[in-house]
Amino acid sequence: MIEFRGVHKRHGDLHVLKGIDLSIARGEVVVVCGPSGSGKSTLIRLINRLETLSEGEIVIDGQATAGWRGRRLQALRTRIGFVFQQFNLYAHLDARSNITLALRKVLGMPAVEADARADELLARVGLADKAGAFPSQLSGGQQQRVAIARALATRPEILLFDEPTSALDPETIGEVLAVMRELAHSGITMLVVTHEMGFARELADRILFIDQGTILESAAPADFFRAPAHPRAQRFLRQLLSPLHEAVE
Amino acid sequence: MTGLTFDWAGVLGGLPLHWLATGFLTTVCVTATGAALATLFAVPVLGLRIGPPGPGRWTAVAFIELFRNTPLLVQLLFWYFVAYGLLPRGWRDWINEDHGWAALPGGVNLATPEFLAATWGLGVFFAAFLAEELRAGLLAVPKGQREAALSQGMGSWAILVHILLPQALGNAWQPLVGQYLNLMKLSSLATGIGLAEVTYQVRQIESYNSHALEAFAAGTLLYLGLSVVMESALLQFGPRRRGAR
Repeated sequence: MIEFRGVHKRHGDLHVLKGIDLSIARGEVVVVCGPSGSGKSTLIRLINRLETLSEGEIVIDGQATAGWRGRRLQALRTRIGFVFQQFNLYAHLDARSNITLALRKVLGMPAVEADARADELLARVGLADKAGAFPSQLSGGQQQRVAIARALATRPEILLFDEPTSALDPETIGEVLAVMRELAHSGITMLVVTHEMGFARELADRILFIDQGTILESAAPADFFRAPAHPRAQRFLRQLLSPLHEAVE
Repeated sequence: MTGLTFDWAGVLGGLPLHWLATGFLTTVCVTATGAALATLFAVPVLGLRIGPPGPGRWTAVAFIELFRNTPLLVQLLFWYFVAYGLLPRGWRDWINEDHGWAALPGGVNLATPEFLAATWGLGVFFAAFLAEELRAGLLAVPKGQREAALSQGMGSWAILVHILLPQALGNAWQPLVGQYLNLMKLSSLATGIGLAEVTYQVRQIESYNSHALEAFAAGTLLYLGLSVVMESALLQFGPRRRGAR
């Protein structure tokens, strides 16, 4: 469904991604992990073109999307939901309108229908009673659940998550992960950049480990957690799972 | 003259009262038309200023720098004494004709060179300020919201209209109200080009019957009252800021 062919990304002198080849099947749940600055956010932001390619191709459903602009690019983006670390809810709109805006302005859906869709999505993320709440009135976990509902509004086939729980208080991470678990079981294709190894172990079909712009490891969770092949991945896992016991480098 | 003794009879009756009333009406009208024009002009100036680099943006920057960094009085004198004279003869003749439709009660006429120059001068001067206040409001909208809208398939225009501008207005509303109040108060400078607004009429009363104290007090109260009404109306009916994020 999504294919990276020799993908490079450069920001000036900075070589962020160095020749990524990757194929993701429909319905697959892929967790992307790696140290900060490794290029994992860039990897998923290339898929919905929040970043542009420097070299190579990204093929979605058999079509290379690099040259797409205007309406064609907008149509592609409605098929891909994106969830941000900082939620990025529209601050001047309540939860329901956050969800209906794109439905009405991009898909041209009538207001009544869009409202019904929004309420159905809010119920799905457990926030049926918060339709009229503004982002500033919601906790971080609630905001992120509204953001997930918003990403689902246009019925995307692909969902991209960029560290969805990294900005949350520990006690609200669970409610967001629960929504993501339900989605992972729903058959939608998911790419999740996260350090939540519990989520990765339980729900991922595959784990990608990226360091310095290269995919060092692509393995099933069982294999990845039992015996990561690459020394860099071994060290990363040790640091992540027991940070206290890892000597300062 | 012995101390501060007010004698309102010389101001609140007869010709002086009539002058104050027409002056007040003129101030209200020039403020309203000037504010409308400034708002109208601010939109394209802002659009060009935040647009892609190039001649459009340079023009907007030049416009903003020119009108924000020169005195309004000088600008009004320029529009009235220089620019007006450069208008085609036919236009000036037309303006100088009697226009019944532009006449308000009390002999206030809006189709005069003085009124047009004052409206135009206030309009372009404050367009520069309004555009900059709005731009500051736009810059205060977190960039992530634009990315969220892009990733939902929204185009630049929809993002500007439905996400950025409503929040920019909310963010910038307080300073914008300040600019509209400034516009009203600075309309007093139009007395320098002979527009018969409040300040002009106050000075006329002073030279008519020397009731300077009462005349200036009345003028001050008129400005103050108009200011308070404008401010509370604009704050009451204006957009509100929703807490950050």
